[in-house]
Amino acid sequence: MLRNFWRSLVRVTSFLGKELRETLRRPGILAALVIGPFLIMLIFGLGYTGARRPFEAEVVVPQGSDLPRDPKFYEDLAPGRMNVVGVTADQDAAAQRLRNRQTDMIIVAPPNAQDSLQKGKQAQIVVAWNEVDPVQDQLANLAVDSMVSALNAYVIKEVAAKGLDGAGGGAPANLSPDLIAHPTTAVTKNLAPSSVNVLNFFSPAVLALVIQHLAITLSALSMVRERLSGQMDLFRVAPVNAVEVLTGKYLAYALLSLIATTAVGAAMIYLLHVPLISGYLLPIGIILLLTFAGLGVGLLISLVADSERMAVQLSMLVLLASVFFSGFVLPVQDFVGPVQIISYLLPVTHAIALLQDSMLRGQLFQPWMLPALAGIGLALYLISLLRMQSVLKGVGAPARKRRLVPLFGSPPGVSE
Amino acid sequence: MTAATPTPPATSDAVAPVIGLSGVSRQFGDLWAVHDLSMDVPAGTILGLIGPSGSGKTTTIRMLTGTLQPSAGQIRVLGEDPAQFTIRTRERIAYMPQTFSLYPDLTAGENVGFVASLYGYSWFGRRGRIKRALSIVDMWDKRGRLARDLSGGEQRRLELACAIVHDPAVLFIDEPTAGLDPMLRRSVWDELRRMRDEGRTLLITTQYVAEAAYCDNVALLADGELVSLAHPEELRRSVYGGDVLEVEADGPVSPDVLANVPDVSSVRQAGPRRLVVVVEDAGAASPRVTDALSSAGIGLHSLQEFQPNLDDVFTELVARRRASNGNGRHAA
Repeated sequence: MLRNFWRSLVRVTSFLGKELRETLRRPGILAALVIGPFLIMLIFGLGYTGARRPFEAEVVVPQGSDLPRDPKFYEDLAPGRMNVVGVTADQDAAAQRLRNRQTDMIIVAPPNAQDSLQKGKQAQIVVAWNEVDPVQDQLANLAVDSMVSALNAYVIKEVAAKGLDGAGGGAPANLSPDLIAHPTTAVTKNLAPSSVNVLNFFSPAVLALVIQHLAITLSALSMVRERLSGQMDLFRVAPVNAVEVLTGKYLAYALLSLIATTAVGAAMIYLLHVPLISGYLLPIGIILLLTFAGLGVGLLISLVADSERMAVQLSMLVLLASVFFSGFVLPVQDFVGPVQIISYLLPVTHAIALLQDSMLRGQLFQPWMLPALAGIGLALYLISLLRMQSVLKGVGAPARKRRLVPLFGSPPGVSE
Repeated sequence: MTAATPTPPATSDAVAPVIGLSGVSRQFGDLWAVHDLSMDVPAGTILGLIGPSGSGKTTTIRMLTGTLQPSAGQIRVLGEDPAQFTIRTRERIAYMPQTFSLYPDLTAGENVGFVASLYGYSWFGRRGRIKRALSIVDMWDKRGRLARDLSGGEQRRLELACAIVHDPAVLFIDEPTAGLDPMLRRSVWDELRRMRDEGRTLLITTQYVAEAAYCDNVALLADGELVSLAHPEELRRSVYGGDVLEVEADGPVSPDVLANVPDVSSVRQAGPRRLVVVVEDAGAASPRVTDALSSAGIGLHSLQEFQPNLDDVFTELVARRRASNGNGRHAA
């Protein structure tokens, strides 16, 4: 029995040794497993500011109002939560700027606050914002609460000061305790064209992440597999060129992405009732651009991966980076400048913003992201094309020692 | 190394070589995988590239297909440098790599169809070609099976079907029979010879020396060098310096008995009653050997031409080459 146990132990250690040796002999995989996630976490830790960007607010003070017109006065009511970008008397123009997302919030001061108080009524402030992000919606509410509290304290202080000065004779004696405690109140309104909830907001983002990951993984695996199995040799001999190979692959994966999008999108819209305000065409266009760029990332991975395992690992790293830096979890603006560059190099960052805008708002508020997404895809396509062309021409200069992992070509070494 | 143009087959004399190598070398780091290789392959013939593992066969075939550039020398295939093949030329050649390079998740028919489409055949245009190619390798009935579910031999035949689907004039085939059982090897070679009979030119590598007999000419490679290039029978003769006769007498016999017989190059004692006689031409020398023995009063028990095993022939040729080269691969 002891003998059997010993032999069983030996067999276990044989696998232990084999797995360790195999893994250690592929330093690229180790790097992807350890250094990759560590780097992402490090960049995240160093790059996240930990503070939300204050709301860019515009204050509407109607003509004839006795309220101050100094932006700083309002900014000090909710310090750190609000950045008052202007004070205007034109409420319609301010509302339009809010709809156009040129500002985040408008605060409409009551036209006759003094009169309301004199009549024993709360002065009513109207605050509006335009957010589809439920977190931002909550933060806007908090900012308004903070502002109203500060404003009430200010009013009470002002009234008390007037009373102490003996000038408070104008104040009615029948003020309710509630009015004294809360002389102003806020009526809030979110102008977002779709209902604000977690499901609506994150569904387009999840769709974008799924599509990007699908495109990256499929293209990276396909290319690495073809490279390792010698199929590239067939392409080199056949009368096929790099444009034909890449275009065929792009079309295939675009079709697969569309099928996946149709399935996931239909479930989102018809089962989960996620809004699709813009209609189908714009999201489909965004998905196609995302697929185009995602395939390019996959091809880029296939340039450095020396095995299918490494290709999968690198694809997962891109997914991890996408979750952290794309605006999926935290707004891109919450990161420091250099990290935002990483964010904007990820195709999914643009796709998430574009899909959320088109599906939940019905229009694009950052239209520059469309050409940016196309540009990323085009740049990656051109890099892949150049590399594919050199691969199809045959293995490079004969005397050159190829120390790096070959890209699409066969591994270096002495053939038979 | 001196170029040695093999004897062209009767059907293709006076035809320019389809494949030509002149002083071709390929270096990997400090190692010469192929060194100073020169040879021509006439149209409509099979040239067998034969040699032990690591002798440079695959490197040679990859240089010929343009997937690897030579470090030195000149290669012409169908009159063009493989590195500069035009599309039209590519359409006339086929390459079957050593490793299974088809798509395991496609069916046999889909794999052949994919390769046909690489050569520009539309869905309508390739249907007939797929059927023909699969029928040739006796795989038409298995056209619907996934490539991964095929046996090793079937996969090899499927690759052959892929290689011929576009009706190429020149085929480069790397180890077509590796891992196949003798029956399948025979059937693959029958197919290759049938293609040759249709006028195609084939360059085939193999580790199986016995398969040299199927080739019109054989290039024997060792350590990246061309050891010999000739018809298989010529190679046999070259080892011994001519035809070999085995003589068995009824009683003891001495080599001196045959020493002065015309056409006899050498005589070796192989036993008390046995002699091994090297002659210029076995057919012409046999009666003279018989007469000489009879004149010496020695009864002849048997006289037959000795057919040395090709394995022995190649082993001998490689050993001789290594002995003359100092037994090593070229270093840079």
